[in-house]
Amino acid sequence: MTQKTEYLWEIPPTGKMRVPGRLYATRRLLDRILADNAPTQVANVATLPGIVSASLAMPDMHWGYGFPIGGVAAFDIDQGVVSPGGVGYDINCGVRLMASELTEDAVKPHIQDLVNRMFAQIPCGVGAGRGIKLSAAELADVATSGARWAVARDLGDAGDLTFIEENGCIPGADPDQVSKHATQRGTDQIGTLGSGNHFLEIGCVERIYDPTAAAVLGLFPGQVTVIIHCGSRGYGHQICDDYLPRMDRAARAYGIELPDRQLACAPLTSSEGQAYLGAMRCAVNYSFANRQVIAHQLRQVFAATLNLQADRIGLRTVYEVAHNIAKIETHQVDGVERRLCVHRKGATRAFAGQRDEVPPPYRAIGQPVLIPGDMGRYSYVLTGTAHALQETFGSTCHGAGRALSRRGAIKAAGKRNIVAELAKQGILVKSAGRRTVQEEMSEAYKDVTDVVDACEQAGISTKVARLRPLACVKG
Amino acid sequence: MHDEESGAPAWLERLDHPADEMIRVQAASLPELFERVAWAMFYCITDMAAVCPATARDVQVNAPDRDALLVRWLAELNRLHHTEGLLGAQFRVLQLDATGLRARVSGEPMDPARHTLHAEIKGVTFHGLRIESTGTGWRATVLFDM
Repeated sequence: MTQKTEYLWEIPPTGKMRVPGRLYATRRLLDRILADNAPTQVANVATLPGIVSASLAMPDMHWGYGFPIGGVAAFDIDQGVVSPGGVGYDINCGVRLMASELTEDAVKPHIQDLVNRMFAQIPCGVGAGRGIKLSAAELADVATSGARWAVARDLGDAGDLTFIEENGCIPGADPDQVSKHATQRGTDQIGTLGSGNHFLEIGCVERIYDPTAAAVLGLFPGQVTVIIHCGSRGYGHQICDDYLPRMDRAARAYGIELPDRQLACAPLTSSEGQAYLGAMRCAVNYSFANRQVIAHQLRQVFAATLNLQADRIGLRTVYEVAHNIAKIETHQVDGVERRLCVHRKGATRAFAGQRDEVPPPYRAIGQPVLIPGDMGRYSYVLTGTAHALQETFGSTCHGAGRALSRRGAIKAAGKRNIVAELAKQGILVKSAGRRTVQEEMSEAYKDVTDVVDACEQAGISTKVARLRPLACVKG
Repeated sequence: MHDEESGAPAWLERLDHPADEMIRVQAASLPELFERVAWAMFYCITDMAAVCPATARDVQVNAPDRDALLVRWLAELNRLHHTEGLLGAQFRVLQLDATGLRARVSGEPMDPARHTLHAEIKGVTFHGLRIESTGTGWRATVLFDM
C-alpha cells in the first residue's frame, strides 16, 4: 500500500485488480483498518468488471462480507455490473435527522415520558413485526411510491419529501421482481425499527462548526433533534437473499470470475442485473416509507407528551440519507460525463450543492450528510463537497465503525450496567434487550470524531454541527 | 440471564468478526456437519435449551454445489424463522448429495413467554464460507450478517 496524501492510501492494481484500491484514513485509523480484512475486500471489489477509477473505502471502513463496510464502487452502465453484495441485506438502511423548535431545557423534564411512549408506539427489537398491516397490493404501492405512499395517507408532511434522498421515491422499482417470500416478510414491518444498531435518538445541537450552513439547515445550539436509523427490514433482507443465488448463476453464465462469492453480480445490461435493480429499488422505497411512518409516529409522540401544537414542536425533516444502496448517477470521470452505477455499502452520498439531486434550499451549502456516532458520545451533521464529487463519486463515511465485535462488546461490558452508566451521563436508554445495549455501548465503536475529521481533512465532507444524545431507543 | 457461552458444544467455535457472526463447526460426516451448522445458527439466535422439538417438518433445498447448498439450507431455515417463527431444535439430514438436501427439522414456533431472541440474522453469506475435510471428519466456516 502506498501513501498518496496524508489521508489517502492506495493499493496498486495487482493480479486481477482492474483498478487501484483507495482507502481514506488517517494513519491512526489505518493501523486498526490494516488489522482486519477490509483492505483485501477493497482489492476484491477492484476485480469486478466495468469498475471505474478505483475501489474506494471511507474512513469508517471495516471487514464486512463481500464489499467492505464503508465501500464505494462505481460501474460503467454499459460494461459494468451490479452486485447485491455491494448493497447488503439491509437495503437502504439510512438515517433521518429531524429538527425541533424546542430547546433541551424544555424537553428534558419530559424525556422519560417521551422515551416510554416512543418505545411503546414504535415496535422495535429482534423479530418485531406489529407494523402497519399491508395487503400485497398495498405493499406493491409502497414499493413503487416510497415515502410518498406514507404522505398520501397523512403519515407525514408533503414537505418531508423534498428533504429525503431521491425525494423519498427511487424510480424503476419493479414489484414483479420481488418474491412472494419477500412480500410475505414485508406485510407487517412498515413503521418498525428492527434490532442491532438501529435506533431512535433524541439529541441536541451541542456545537456548530459552520454557522452559515447550520443557519441554512435551521440548526441552532441547544436545539432538540431526533435521529431515526433503520432500513428495509425483512423485506430488504429477503430480496438480497433471493437474488444471491440468481446472481451467482448469472456470474457463471457471463464468465465473471469472483474472488469472493458474496460479490456475485450480473452485467447491468443483463436481464438478471435489471431484475435485481427492480427488486432492490422496491426495498429502497420500502425503507423510505418505513422511516417516513416512524417520523410521523415520533411527531405524534412529541405532541401527545408535550401537549403542544405541531408548529410549536417542529420536528421538520432536515434531511434523510441512504447508506446501503446502488444508484445510477452521472459523474465526471477524467473530464468525461459518464453514467455509472454507484454502490455505497455503509457509505453516504455527499454531493456538493451544484448537483440537481441536492434540494434547492441546500444548493448553497451542499447535501447534508448525517453521521451517527454512538449512544454515549455524539453524532455529526456534515455537508458534501465538490472534492467528493471529484474523488469519491460524491461519497463519504456513514458512521463510527465498530471497534469491538458484538460478542467482544458483551464480554467487555461484563456485569456493568450500561444503562445506569449512561443515565449518570444524562443519557436515557431504553432497549428491547440488555444484550443489544451491551453490543452497542460506546466502547464498541470508534470515536466518530476521528472518522469525520478524516473525511473533512480529506476534503470529502465538511463539518456543520455536532449533536449530543439525550435519550436513545434501541431495538 | 442466559449465558450463551457456557452452553456451547465443543464442536462449535464462534470466531471474531467486527460486526457479524462467524462460526466454525466440526462434525464426523457431511450430513452431521449440515445438521450441526443448522443447530449452531439457531444457537446464535436463541437459548437452545428452551426450544422443544415439538413438531417436525421436512425441508428440501437445491443448489449448484455443496457450498451453495449449505448457504441455501441455512437461508431457508432463517426464512422459516422469520416468516413462521420457527425455532429449530433438532435437524436430521435424510438425503444429501452434491446439489440437493432433504432434512427433517424438529422445533416449535417462537413463544415470547418461553423463548428469548438474542439476535436477528439478516442473511447467510458466502464470505469466508468453507467446507473442508479434516482427515477425521468435516469442518465448516460460515458468516452470518447480523
